[in-house]
Amino acid sequence: MSKAIAYTIVITGAPWASQAPQTALMFAREALLAGHRIDRVFLYGDGVHLASALSTPPSDETHWPRAWSEFLEQQNIPAAACIASALRRGVIDETEQARYELAASNLRAPFEIAGLGEWVEGNLKSDRTLYFHGSH
Amino acid sequence: MNTLIVVDQPPYGSWAGREALDMVFSLAAFDQPSALLFVGPGVNWLRSNQAPSGINQKSVEKNLSAAPMFGVEAILADRSACERFGLTEATLVAGVTLTDSVPDTLDGYRHVAFAG
Repeated sequence: MSKAIAYTIVITGAPWASQAPQTALMFAREALLAGHRIDRVFLYGDGVHLASALSTPPSDETHWPRAWSEFLEQQNIPAAACIASALRRGVIDETEQARYELAASNLRAPFEIAGLGEWVEGNLKSDRTLYFHGSH
Repeated sequence: MNTLIVVDQPPYGSWAGREALDMVFSLAAFDQPSALLFVGPGVNWLRSNQAPSGINQKSVEKNLSAAPMFGVEAILADRSACERFGLTEATLVAGVTLTDSVPDTLDGYRHVAFAG
């Protein structure tokens, strides 16, 4: 087998608005099966909607946020949503709820809220950074 | 590791360009060599005297002018796209380097990314 590659995955397309989260999940599963590694997942721009705990698709559709959460927990892969992208789009953890005195929080575990520094670190530490966009 | 962030959409129609700027500023803040490349309709970011107050947006020109202060190494633009959108030296913001070959420019960077 060829050398294992460590990836950082960046998702910028939202579920139900783009195919990005689905394609990224299929890639991530296959990459692990092939012996590669996923160092971290970073949600940016509209991709932060994947970390909403309130998405409620019809029961006969794949629940992409849940599917991603389960995958991340099973594989113990850290995942973060960009704080600036998330706050603008109403994806809020308890800390930000308290800070901005908001009515609710809705961040889905195991996602965390983090700065772009997480993405910079991913660029530095992983062999490759792969982007899954909604519009490119 | 040097990174090129590419903007190919005009300003004000989506948030992706502003988020591209945040990416490049963040790289620079962590002392990572980085640059911006504007291609296609994205070159309209570089038009001077933008006046978006009529649509209640802040001018992206001001954000962009902070790039050198953050340590962004270059603001590059595709020359042919600038010509197509009627951007001349007189109408371009200061500090833009025009490139005649986007492929050659991309070759100069280890990482190339879009904001979305």
